[in-house]
Amino acid sequence: MLQAIDLVKRYGPVLALDGFSLSVAAGEIVGLVGHNGAGKTTFVEIVSYLIRQDSGHVTIDGRPPSASRGRVGVAPQHIALYPSVTVREHLNLFGKLSGLRRAALDSAIEELTVALRLGAFIDRRTAALSGGQQRRVQAATALINRPGLLLLDEPTAGADLETREAMLDVVKQRAGDGAAIVYTTHYLPELVELQATIAVARNGKIIARGTYDELVDGLPGEVRLIHDNEEEVRVSTTQPAATLIDLLGRAERPISTIEVYNPSLDDLYRSLAVSDAS
Amino acid sequence: MLLDTGYRPGPTAALRESLYRIRALANNNTLIRLRDPGQTISYVVMPMVLMLVLEPLYVRAVEGGTTKVVTGLLVMFSVFAISIAGNAILAERTWKTWDRLRVSRAPAAELLIGKTLPIYLVMVAQQTILLVYGCLVIGLPIPGNIPLVLGSILVWAFTLLAIGALLAAIVRSHGELSVITDVGALTLSSLGGALVPLSLMPEWAQAAAHLSPGYWALSMLQAAVAGDTAGTMLPAAILLGIALVCGAFAIRRLTRGWGRGGLL
Repeated sequence: MLQAIDLVKRYGPVLALDGFSLSVAAGEIVGLVGHNGAGKTTFVEIVSYLIRQDSGHVTIDGRPPSASRGRVGVAPQHIALYPSVTVREHLNLFGKLSGLRRAALDSAIEELTVALRLGAFIDRRTAALSGGQQRRVQAATALINRPGLLLLDEPTAGADLETREAMLDVVKQRAGDGAAIVYTTHYLPELVELQATIAVARNGKIIARGTYDELVDGLPGEVRLIHDNEEEVRVSTTQPAATLIDLLGRAERPISTIEVYNPSLDDLYRSLAVSDAS
Repeated sequence: MLLDTGYRPGPTAALRESLYRIRALANNNTLIRLRDPGQTISYVVMPMVLMLVLEPLYVRAVEGGTTKVVTGLLVMFSVFAISIAGNAILAERTWKTWDRLRVSRAPAAELLIGKTLPIYLVMVAQQTILLVYGCLVIGLPIPGNIPLVLGSILVWAFTLLAIGALLAAIVRSHGELSVITDVGALTLSSLGGALVPLSLMPEWAQAAAHLSPGYWALSMLQAAVAGDTAGTMLPAAILLGIALVCGAFAIRRLTRGWGRGGLL
């Protein structure tokens, strides 16, 4: 569905994308992760046809972004809503802009109202909503016409648990319906829950891609035991489960606390940064 | 099942879809205007009050004083209304909603029409109300050639809209826009003879007046009110020229967007 090959984008002296390549198949969720400035938002803006790349190619279902307007649902990183306009009026506007009429529009609004839990505030102006509620409204405007490609740029940034749950449910459902989804985030657990393919961006290019298990395979986690006399044992290991069993088998005193740390996104970044540098 | 079926409408259906989207955009912008009408109301009420107060002075000072006070204050406060257009377009930048619209199925031309149509109608309504008020309350003779007056109002509102769009496309904040529209409007309109009749102004100001769109607007409206079709045409052509230059630049900027910079 989405093919981006060797994208380069420069903002003055800053090289935002430096050979960025990424493909997303229909029905696939690709979690795009990376530190701030890694190029994630620039990539989203190029695919949305908001900015043009200096070189490289993008196609969406075989067409360039210029010919794909309205077929891409975009929820940008920042909140971009009309403060004095209600949630329902927003959904009406974006639904109509994507060509939905009467029954289809009403049905799409109804579906998203339930899925993203907008019912309690659907007739309120967006200026009066919380940040999490605004995030859900923004996502709803991107989803209203069931686009074939969804670009969700940190859709849960600063969001509460309810927003996060609702968002992840809808994303999974849309992927199940066949949409290709690019989901940028700083929260690795969300991508694990979405069973997303993870693409790691660094310095304007994708430096690794795979499932969570593939990417963290070989990275050390940590097992931490605290005995009842407060003696602490910490072991760094690539096989936390086996190590825990081993430690428990050898423990000579009762244990008050067991903690197992799986590798985090930061561990992944660090390991990739080291391998990239070497 | 996704809704993207690859369907491409024929020319008639495409036009119908285009009008449907423009109506959706125009409705949205009308809603926004109606929910924040303060600026528009003040630009209608203020000149009404000033016309009442200044009319005796104009009548004593210059020949055709009633026409001059009505058209002068109409031009002056319609220039102030540039800020209505500027703020409406700049707000799309500060709310970051313009980029969301650019991602939609609506091409740039539809976005611009949908955005500016309600503002244009507000400007036309402002000038029409002031002219009608001038006739009913101030004593301006009812113009003999109404279509000519209406045409002049449409041209002047179009010029103001284009200037407002241009300003909104280049400024970096509402503060900057406010400075430019307030100071600029006062300078351009008074230099054009909207506040003090041109004949009472110093010679250098009378010469410089030709550089002000306000001067041409005043000439056009006064000629139109007097039913002078030939005298209306030259200023109308000059104003349309200004509008086309400003509008072309604004369209270029609004179509391409601003990327991540451009705002304070």
